[in-house]
Amino acid sequence: MLTFIGLGLYDTQSITCEGRAALREADRAFAEFYTSELLGASVEELEAAHEVDIEVRDRAGVEQDPEPILAAAETEDVAFLTAGDTMISTTHADLRIRAETRGIETRVLHGVTAETAASGLTGLQNYRFGKAVTLPFPFVHGAGDVPPSVIESIEANQTRGLHTLVYLDIKVDSHPRRGAPDDHETYMTADHAAELLASEWDGDQLGVVVARAGSPEPVVAADRLSTLADREFGDPLHLLVVPGELHHVEADALQALADAPVGLVETED
Amino acid sequence: MGRRKQIVQECERLMDKPENIRNIAIAAHVDHGKTTLSDNLLAGAGMISNETAGQQLAMDTKEDEQERGITIDAANVSMTHEYEDTNHLINLIDTPGHVDFGGDVTRAMRAVDGALVVVDAVEGAMPQTETVLRQALREGVKPALFINKVDRLINELQEGPEEMQKRLLDVISDVNDLIRGMTEEKDYDWTVSVEDGTVGFGSALYKWGVSMPSMQRTGIDFGDIMELERSGEEGRDELQERTPLSDVVLDMVAEHFPNPVDAQPRRIPTVWRGDDESEVAESMRLVDEDGEVVFMSTDISMDPHAGEIATGRLFSGTIEKGQELYVSGTAGKNRIQSVGIFMGGEREEVEKVPAGNIAAVTGLKDAIAGSTVSSIEMTPFESIEHISEPVITKSVEAKTMDDLPKLIKTLQQVAKEDPTIRVEINEDTGEHLISGQGELHLEVITHRIRDNQGIDVHTGEPIVVFREQPQEKSREVEGVSPNNHNKFYITAEPLSQDIVDAIKLGEASMDMPELERREALQEAGMDKDDSQNVEHMFKTNILLDETKGIQHLNETMELVIEGLEDALEDGPLAAEPVQGALFRLHDAKLHEDTIHRGPAQVIPATRDAIHRSLIDAEVRLLEPIQDVRIDVPSEYMGNASGEIQGRRGRVDDMYQEGDLMVIEGIAPVEEMIGFSSDIRSATEGRASWNTENAGFRVLVDNLQTEQIMEIRERKGMKLELPPSVDYI
Repeated sequence: MLTFIGLGLYDTQSITCEGRAALREADRAFAEFYTSELLGASVEELEAAHEVDIEVRDRAGVEQDPEPILAAAETEDVAFLTAGDTMISTTHADLRIRAETRGIETRVLHGVTAETAASGLTGLQNYRFGKAVTLPFPFVHGAGDVPPSVIESIEANQTRGLHTLVYLDIKVDSHPRRGAPDDHETYMTADHAAELLASEWDGDQLGVVVARAGSPEPVVAADRLSTLADREFGDPLHLLVVPGELHHVEADALQALADAPVGLVETED
Repeated sequence: MGRRKQIVQECERLMDKPENIRNIAIAAHVDHGKTTLSDNLLAGAGMISNETAGQQLAMDTKEDEQERGITIDAANVSMTHEYEDTNHLINLIDTPGHVDFGGDVTRAMRAVDGALVVVDAVEGAMPQTETVLRQALREGVKPALFINKVDRLINELQEGPEEMQKRLLDVISDVNDLIRGMTEEKDYDWTVSVEDGTVGFGSALYKWGVSMPSMQRTGIDFGDIMELERSGEEGRDELQERTPLSDVVLDMVAEHFPNPVDAQPRRIPTVWRGDDESEVAESMRLVDEDGEVVFMSTDISMDPHAGEIATGRLFSGTIEKGQELYVSGTAGKNRIQSVGIFMGGEREEVEKVPAGNIAAVTGLKDAIAGSTVSSIEMTPFESIEHISEPVITKSVEAKTMDDLPKLIKTLQQVAKEDPTIRVEINEDTGEHLISGQGELHLEVITHRIRDNQGIDVHTGEPIVVFREQPQEKSREVEGVSPNNHNKFYITAEPLSQDIVDAIKLGEASMDMPELERREALQEAGMDKDDSQNVEHMFKTNILLDETKGIQHLNETMELVIEGLEDALEDGPLAAEPVQGALFRLHDAKLHEDTIHRGPAQVIPATRDAIHRSLIDAEVRLLEPIQDVRIDVPSEYMGNASGEIQGRRGRVDDMYQEGDLMVIEGIAPVEEMIGFSSDIRSATEGRASWNTENAGFRVLVDNLQTEQIMEIRERKGMKLELPPSVDYI
């Protein structure tokens, strides 16, 4: 049996009760933290809180060499853990398909994910989000500072009045690219992202920053991208939302919850 | 005032009269007497004493050159010569003849407008004669011929007038056949002839020479020459007195070689692909000393006092101290610290050097041999491609840790000075690799590291460089990214030799405008559609993008190319470079989001697809081969040809030439290591031979596996052949 368990957004408490129960019962637990991380809990803290040993796999250990996970799941109860939800921004569908193909029973125990926080903390409505994008660090790509497809997706959402959730890159060391700087930040911050979008696209555009979603003290801030670029939002993880048209309740929410300047969030009616 | 100082002043006076300048190179087969001839010219100009010319080898300034008796680096010198009441400034470059140093010859040709090709009257046109002619003509450099060692025909071979005439005419006609063959597509006739005065004869050793115009002037004909040559020392002195070699040759140079004003309008389009309507193009054509500065460095050398000296041709503008100039391929500018000209080994500083001259400047710290240096940002000159790639590698290691930083610096310097050397620095193991044109080439380099830099080094046994190349067209293979979200569909096939040659000669490259590249590739035989799909070229390999309208492929292409280059640097068989392969990207499936098609995904997927396509295309190991020519008395012919055959070689031709037998064939470079001493003992030192790198050839099948395993073991790779492709 292979159980995919989402650890939720922040620390040892962010997992669901069902997830915790399944994790504690598992014979072995594997995890990956290259797609996202829990900033409020170390692996040791997770192990202590759930009374299990966790074997952390790197990208190659999941994508290229999943054999140990699958082999274990053939005979034992195996848990596979990721931050957030295992199937949302990080899609481990491939692993699940491989397991099913080998006749291994699988199940998914959901976790709270950035998508929930993006609407939950900002008041922007889940119904009104379009395609999500990831903004990569410029050096990993080679398609300029902001890949054209990122801007195309945001603009395509906007023409339909929809918001865009922008995930921010996390540095992964398994395959450093030629010419990548050694000392760049590990997590892309929201102010860095706002700066990239402001300089490559539109600085006057409204943006909403969500920092440390799921922690006891999340920060939510709405302003022009160019203004957000000059602010600091503290510890990671951050994400950024580029709103489309605002429903009047959304506009009220941004003023009340994210200190949006009044002139910026006028509604369509 | 010393004679030397006077000459410098005369040179300076003549510098800004481009009509009176001749930039020339002396080039020849090894030992045909270039350097001795150069010495004659120097003595004629009063720069070395007449007595020592011929023995002094003033142009061979490096200790090892004088020891070995051959020229290793191209050397520069400026001198003046009065012809028809006009004083001329002659900037001369003496070039090495040994095949291992061909890169120096190619670079020298970029700086000059005329090439005096020296041929030994006894040996006639030899393989390197052909090579230097080709190097000259490709650069648009006009040739003239000097037939040297005529004294040997008279004294050693005791030839009569008719025999001698026939022999000389044969040499001329051989050289003309070569020139004709190489200028077929040109609209000018550059063949040489006695009547025109573009052929000279003489003896550099005994310092006399004649040409048709000189015979008319001095009244000395071949009959007089034979008589005087035979009458011993006095006769020779008289010959030298009445018809000195330097006058004859320098007259020929002044009369028949183009000056920069004539040469540059013709040469610029062959060596520069920038906009010919631009202002800078115009000022290069006009050799305008008031134009923007355009300088091409053709040689970098180290001077213990002045530091790094860049020597090269100034095509436009005036170069002087304090100028801030752009160096192609690098960011920012370099400041000129001093400007000078070369007076045989030594540099003389001058105020400034105007367009049309060969200048030696310091301060260009970012320049390498081949850099374009200019006062405006401009299209760089065509890279100076030497035809042969490095074929032999040696490891170099510092004996003491303290020398490590110095060794790395020296190796980097070596690579800067000689682009035909490739240096791989490995700071982790301390075992650095230098690759070059032959055993001698590497020996000279390591000798210089030891003796000139005083670094005690260990060197490994020489190893030949291999290549990998597909032999057939592969089926379509799939490369999948680790996350399974991205797939690339690729085929591999061999490129035709014509296309490979066109790439090697720089006729088609990614640096040129797309239309021009398409035409060049079609010219070389590429299908029209294919030429339009070229996405990338890496060394002699090409990637075609045959996909249609795949979303996000454009922003992923850079990563595809990175994966391709990785895969081609280290081929699938033995991690040797891949050459002459054509890849077609037929289709790709890409993830919506950039992060799921980032470098960690796309690079391994492409790399994998490229390797699998190569394996399916029957990729084979290629080894470097050499053309071999041995001249040997007939009684040793069997032994000599045995030396070729015993080295997995092939004898293609054996014929008589004079009293010697000539054996021609090919043999693998690997087997030729140690050839010099073996052939010497096999023929009791009676053979003379010549080898020339002749590209790469597929290693015979029954040696493939063994050789691949040997390389894999040396490199610490897994000792198994890559599994054949799993076809999906």
